[in-house]
Formats: sequence, C-alpha cells, structure tokens
Amino acid sequence: MNEIESKIIKILMDQDDSINYAEEKHLIDNRILDSFAIISLVSELEEEFDIRITAVEMVPENFNSVEAMAAMVQKLQG
Amino acid sequence: MGYNTLPYLVLFLPLSLIIYQVSGRNNRKYVLLIFSWIYFFLCSKKLIIYLLLTSAGVWLDGLAMQKSGGRKHLKTALAVLGVGGLFGVLLYLKYTNFFIGIVNTVMAGRGAGAAIPLRHMLVPIGISFYTLEAAGYLLEVYWGRQEADPDFVRVALFLGFFPQTMEGPIARYQDTAHQLTGGKPVTEQQLFDGVTRILWGMFKKIVIADRLSLIVTELYRNYAAYNGIMIPAAAVTYTMQLYMEFSGVMDIVIGSAGIFGIALPENFRQPFFSQSASEFWRRWHISLGVWLKTYLFYPVTTSGMTKKWNRFAGKKFGKYITKIGTSFLALTPVWLFNGLWHGASWHYIFYGVYYLVLLMIEVILEPAKKSFYKKTGFKKNGRFWTVFRILRTWLIIFTGELFFRAESLRAGIAMFRSGFHHIGIQRLWDGTLLKMGLDQADWLVILAGIAVVFAADLLKEKNFDIKASLAKKSLPVRWAAFYGLIFAVLIFGAYGPGYQPVDLIYAGF
Repeated sequence: MNEIESKIIKILMDQDDSINYAEEKHLIDNRILDSFAIISLVSELEEEFDIRITAVEMVPENFNSVEAMAAMVQKLQG
Repeated sequence: MGYNTLPYLVLFLPLSLIIYQVSGRNNRKYVLLIFSWIYFFLCSKKLIIYLLLTSAGVWLDGLAMQKSGGRKHLKTALAVLGVGGLFGVLLYLKYTNFFIGIVNTVMAGRGAGAAIPLRHMLVPIGISFYTLEAAGYLLEVYWGRQEADPDFVRVALFLGFFPQTMEGPIARYQDTAHQLTGGKPVTEQQLFDGVTRILWGMFKKIVIADRLSLIVTELYRNYAAYNGIMIPAAAVTYTMQLYMEFSGVMDIVIGSAGIFGIALPENFRQPFFSQSASEFWRRWHISLGVWLKTYLFYPVTTSGMTKKWNRFAGKKFGKYITKIGTSFLALTPVWLFNGLWHGASWHYIFYGVYYLVLLMIEVILEPAKKSFYKKTGFKKNGRFWTVFRILRTWLIIFTGELFFRAESLRAGIAMFRSGFHHIGIQRLWDGTLLKMGLDQADWLVILAGIAVVFAADLLKEKNFDIKASLAKKSLPVRWAAFYGLIFAVLIFGAYGPGYQPVDLIYAGF
C-alpha cells in the first residue's frame, strides 16, 4: 500500500470506521459510499492532495476502491 | 399504441422481430431504426420531425465537439449550444403555457387587463425521455468520457429505440448504444425470457393497475366529496396503481428489448423495502435518479461555487454545517428539476420540494440518529427498527404521491387537509370504497395480485433469483408457470365491457 492509499484510507475511516476499505472493491456498486459520502470525500481529497476534482471524474469506477481513488489522485496530480 | 395494447403485442413487436431475424446481421440495425421511426410516427405523426432533427443535431454536435480538439472554448460553446438547444425545445413545448400562466397571474394581480392567450402546443411522445438521453450523451462527449459516435444509425437508435420511446428507461450511451447496433440474433432463450417478462408486466398493468384506475380516477376527480380515511385510501390506491403500472410497463419494455438481445437498465428495485426517502429514490425510477446524479448533482457539487462554500464554511462553521450547506446547494436544483420534469404544474414542483425538504431533514438528523442508536444501544438493523423505518417511508411515499396525482396543488392541499376531518374508518368496508365501480371479485383480484407482486419483490429482496430457480425446474413446471401468467392476464385482465382502456401514466410526462 502506497502513501496516497494510506492517506485515503485515513480519510475514509474518519467518515465510517466500520468498513475494511483496503479489501473492498465495490464501494459504490455495493452502496457503501452514497452520494453524500462522495461529496464529503471529494472535498477532503482535494484538500489533502491539492488537486481539483471535477464532474469528469465523478464516475463509479473512480471511487469503487481505494486503489481506484489513488489512481485518480495520481492522474490529477499530473 | 401503448406497450400494453394488442396492436403492439401481437402485430408490431412480432413483425419487427421477424423482419429483424430474417435480415442479415449488418442490416438489423437499420430494421430496428425503421421500426423505431414507424412506431414514433404512429404515436406522434408529423411531430417525428423533432426526433429526427434531435438525432441529426446531437450526432453532428458530438462530432463537432470531437473535432474541436484542444480548442476548449469552442468545445464548450458547442456543448452549450447542444444541451441548451435540447432543453430550449423541451421548455418551449412543455412549459410555454405554464410560464404564460404565471405572467398572466402576475399581470392580473397588478390590474392589467388583457391576458396573454395560452397556446395550443403539440408535444411529441417521449420528448422528456429522449431529451435527457441526448443531453447525457453530449455531456459525456464534452467531458471526454465518451468518443463522439460517427455512426448516425447508432445515435438515432439510442434516442429512438421503440420500446423505450414512451417511458424510458433513460439509458446512458455507453451502456446501451453498442448493443442496439450489434445485430445479435434472437435466440429461443431470449424469446422465452422476454415474453415471460412481458407477461409479468401485463399482469401488473392490466390485472392490477387498470382496475385500481377506476377508484383513483373517482377519488381524485371528485376529491371535494371525500374526506377522512378516503384521503389515505386515495394516496395508497394511487401509489399502488402507479407502481404496478410504471414497473409493469418497464417489464414490457425491458422484456421487448431483451428479445432482441438488448439489456436495458432496470428502473425499479423493490422500492417498498426502502428505509428512507433517499433510499426510495435509489430504488424508484432509478434511471431518472442516475441521470440527475450524474449530470446535475455531481456537476453542482464539484462546481466552483460549491467548493468556495466548502472552503469558506469548512473554516468558519465546521464539517456539519458545511455538509448541510453543500447538500442544500446540490439537492435544490436536482429536486426542482425532478418536479418540473414531470410536468409544468405547481403540484409537481411541490412534489420536488417535498423530497428536497425530506432529504435535507435526513442530512440534518444524521448525527442525532447515530447518537440515538449509540446511546440507547438499540440495534439499528434489528427487526423492529427496520420495519419501523420501512413503514415510515411508506407514509412519506403515500403522502408524496397524493400531491403528485392531485389535479392541482390547490386540490392536493385541500385533499391533505380534509384527510384530518371526519375520519370515518368504516368507509373502508361499508361499501363507500368497496363499491366505487369495482365489485367484490375485482377487489379480490387486486389484493391477490398485489400479494403476488410483493411476494416476488420480497424474494428478490432476499436475493432469491426467481428466473434462475424457474430455469432449473422441469419443462412442464416452466410451461405451467408460463401458461399460468397468460391465463391470469387473459382471465383477470381489466379489459372489455365495464372497463375503460387506461393510457400509460408516464407517457404523459
């Protein structure tokens, strides 16, 4: 697990610490994260990683797992 | 030609299937498109011009955006032109008279004499549905999540595929477009599954919904004559009618498409097992909810304005207030749009605002709810609280549908208020309700039918796959189930003398 993934897990744990985020690959498809959780998450990710997340990134594939979120963050960091 | 009518079921659909099947793989997409345009023409005659122009316009606009390359301003201008044009036409056709009405009311209030005359507008069938699909496609191309499609036939089929024309589901381009032009042959299995699904839909629509229609029409048309318990009765019967009708038509639509090997998105997922208003909207008219979330909710939540608020409020007020503010900023356009999309009338707007308020209450109460379960030690997922939340959600749904179905907002408010006068619960069984155009046998059929549908929903909720389980049964059992459905529809269907044909509710939106 890289540093970005660890930071994302910490943010997620602050929202709800009952989920094993490292293992879960269907956070959106299984409705573990709903749209309200996503919008909180987006602002936390933007602040933590100094990135700008736009409507373009708002697809389930980018939020289904911690790896997917980390990949999105890396892409946006350029 | 509704999907529940004989001309569609025994003529149009079989004919399209036969010609589709006997055509070569490469020609099948043309067969589908021609039948789709014929269907549209049969429903809306010369208004097909709107669909044709929309298809051509969207196809060209998508390609132009793709060709604009790195010129961001040009691409944005083309997206605004396309999406603005689509909603401009929708606004003009569906909402002109609504706005004229508002202007006239304001003018009359100021003592102005002459009112602007209302216009006679002809609205093509399904415009509310294909407009959303078209706008979704253009936004996907604009955002670079979807390549502009050079194949005009595919774009035109995506917007006009005949089973979806009247009531959706509102599909995403990347989910259905390529299936529509794949030219897959019809297989025996697809045919069996599709026809079974159509029969299931017919059962819901003409056995249950069309019977309830008699009661619903009377209660809402002559609402001033009813009060007390008759008002909840009106809310519940209409909610049942709407669910059986809309989900039944979706079964026919998805079954029809399924025979061609095309998987359309599901629009319902056991909505009456929802435990909150927000969950209800994730299970009811799902494709509209997904569209609103993808193309309105997320763009607003990721917009500069919302982020400014997040930064400002985050420092000043903390997480909780920030979340309430963000939710309000994002949910307001979603629910106003949802209400207005259903029609140009104040009671639809009220319906949208009603859910906006309920969802905001959910957001506001969330920490209190968490702390309630923590402090009391009650198990949130225990049976009592689960049933309590489901019943509470039913109350929310029934109340919402009362206003949704009311003849006007004024009528809705009058009905709601009169529900608290002269309760008279005996009217449920003394004949007032039971003899309102239906006899005892009709009521038995309605109650048995609803019980069957809810039993099926309960099994699905418990992840029991009825289709797979039936497929494992022996051939006689499968055919018995199949014929059971056919006979249920033929024997118990509300058609013929004593019944009026009932138009599709959502086709009017």
